[in-house]
Amino acid sequence: MSALLEVRNISRSFGSTRAVDDVSFAVREGELLGLIGPNGAGKSTLFNVIAGVIPPTFGEILLNGAVVTGWKPYAMARAGVARTFQIPKPYRQLSVVENVMMSAFLRTKSMAAARELADTVLADVGLTAYRETAANVLTVGLLKRLEVARALATRPKLVLFDEIMAGLTPTEVGAMTEMVAGLPARGITVIWVEHVLYAIMKTATRMVVLNRGKLIAEGSPAAVARDPEVVKAYLGEEIELA
Amino acid sequence: MARVAATGGASGRISLLPRRGQMSWFEIALLLACVAWVGVGLAPSLADVTVLTFLFAGLALAWNIAGGYAGLISFGHAAFFGIGAYASTILLLSYDLTPWIGILVGAVAAAIAGSVLAVICARLRGPFFILSTLAFAEVVRIGALNWSSLTGGAEGLSIAPMPDLANMVLASKSAYAALMLCYLGLAFAVTRGIEASRFGYYLLAIRDSDEAAAAAGINPLLVRTGAMALSAALTGIGGTLFAQYFLYLDPTYVISPELSFQLALLPAVGGLGTAIGPVLGSFVITPLSELLRSYLGNAATGLHLVIYSLVLIVVMLYFPSGIAGALDRLTRRKAPP
Repeated sequence: MSALLEVRNISRSFGSTRAVDDVSFAVREGELLGLIGPNGAGKSTLFNVIAGVIPPTFGEILLNGAVVTGWKPYAMARAGVARTFQIPKPYRQLSVVENVMMSAFLRTKSMAAARELADTVLADVGLTAYRETAANVLTVGLLKRLEVARALATRPKLVLFDEIMAGLTPTEVGAMTEMVAGLPARGITVIWVEHVLYAIMKTATRMVVLNRGKLIAEGSPAAVARDPEVVKAYLGEEIELA
Repeated sequence: MARVAATGGASGRISLLPRRGQMSWFEIALLLACVAWVGVGLAPSLADVTVLTFLFAGLALAWNIAGGYAGLISFGHAAFFGIGAYASTILLLSYDLTPWIGILVGAVAAAIAGSVLAVICARLRGPFFILSTLAFAEVVRIGALNWSSLTGGAEGLSIAPMPDLANMVLASKSAYAALMLCYLGLAFAVTRGIEASRFGYYLLAIRDSDEAAAAAGINPLLVRTGAMALSAALTGIGGTLFAQYFLYLDPTYVISPELSFQLALLPAVGGLGTAIGPVLGSFVITPLSELLRSYLGNAATGLHLVIYSLVLIVVMLYFPSGIAGALDRLTRRKAPP
């Protein structure tokens, strides 16, 4: 099967710092790809390059085999690539449902249809009770869920999750993990950056590990967890915490 | 900052700020009162202030589309006002084109200027955007002052004061008040229409976060440009109406920073990002400033401005979400559970 998204030799420098260094990997449709690595490994930079927020210094991004390098974020969203923000960026003065409707408008002009889609997604992430709440009073955990809801409401083919578990209680992590695990079956391919390892390790179909901007390992969660280089760079002590 | 009634509008609740895009009873009553006020016939002493109050309410609504909903705070809207006023007046004086058509030409010219400003300032946010709008208006003002072959320069342009409906020179102040009320109604209807539309939601999106908007497939620059164009076009229409009322134009007033500040101030006092706010702002502030000027203007030079400023400071301090926000809280508290 051909790749939905292909990242070819992507590098991104900020001044003399090379945040992402010659990274290549591909995601096939229906995969749930975990992307892990220590802080500063370049995960968020890589996300921003894929989502079109910053152009790569070198390399190419292909979506369904077509080159989309340098596309603007809104063009990527329209092409079916949604993303969440590690630091939530809600529309603070709008209600939760209006926040999600904003994304739903990408696929429908109708107010009623947008509200309906938003309500479906809110139920998926467990935010129905906060439907009319203004976003500026939500806790971090709820804002993370709102990020997920907004991404899903664009009806994406591929969604990029950036640390959606941070700030969630263990119960919430369980519910969210289950929801994310169900996405591929609904035709949504996932690339997921996460520090809450027990959640991602049991859900991902494949893992990619970054360290200092370079791809150091790729494979099944079990294989990656045993990889000596990964253990040295990242897992060592953290796996016990998890 | 004004908080939009995001949670408002539940059916059956008495609220000044209904769900976006809908009319409240308060608004309908206010509109009918305005129509009655004009219909009954105006006392000569109240005619002038009525005309100005309606005109500035319309202008405040126009400013609010960009400044209130989209968060594009502009201190340069006098430029669009001036462009509208000069476009129709020059077309009337030099080409004998009726202002009924000139008003549309002026609106289009102002919209183009607004789009250009939005594109030039694409990367600027917050204070930097505000300052560039101020500079833009100054460029337009100085241009109008010096291009005297077209604008008459500092001497200005005069329209012959001969009542003629075809040339939009009306016979009575009551007729002008009716015309300005139509303008207010148009600006209000456009505002409500925007609120109920997808475009209206996009304005609110870019006010809070360009990045989040882009991630939802919204092109922020396109929305900013659209907001400025629409806001400028409506402001330009107000400019033509002003020219047809005063029958005289000069850059020193029509494109002044003072006017720009006034246009930003009215919605801020009334309630940013609400439809009724700019109307309330003008209904309170415009008569106040006119009354103060007529009663105190001769007694002590500048005293009326001191009092005017004090009132504004009090409003800003104690009603940060504007008159509309304060009234909304009041009505909600009184509403039955």
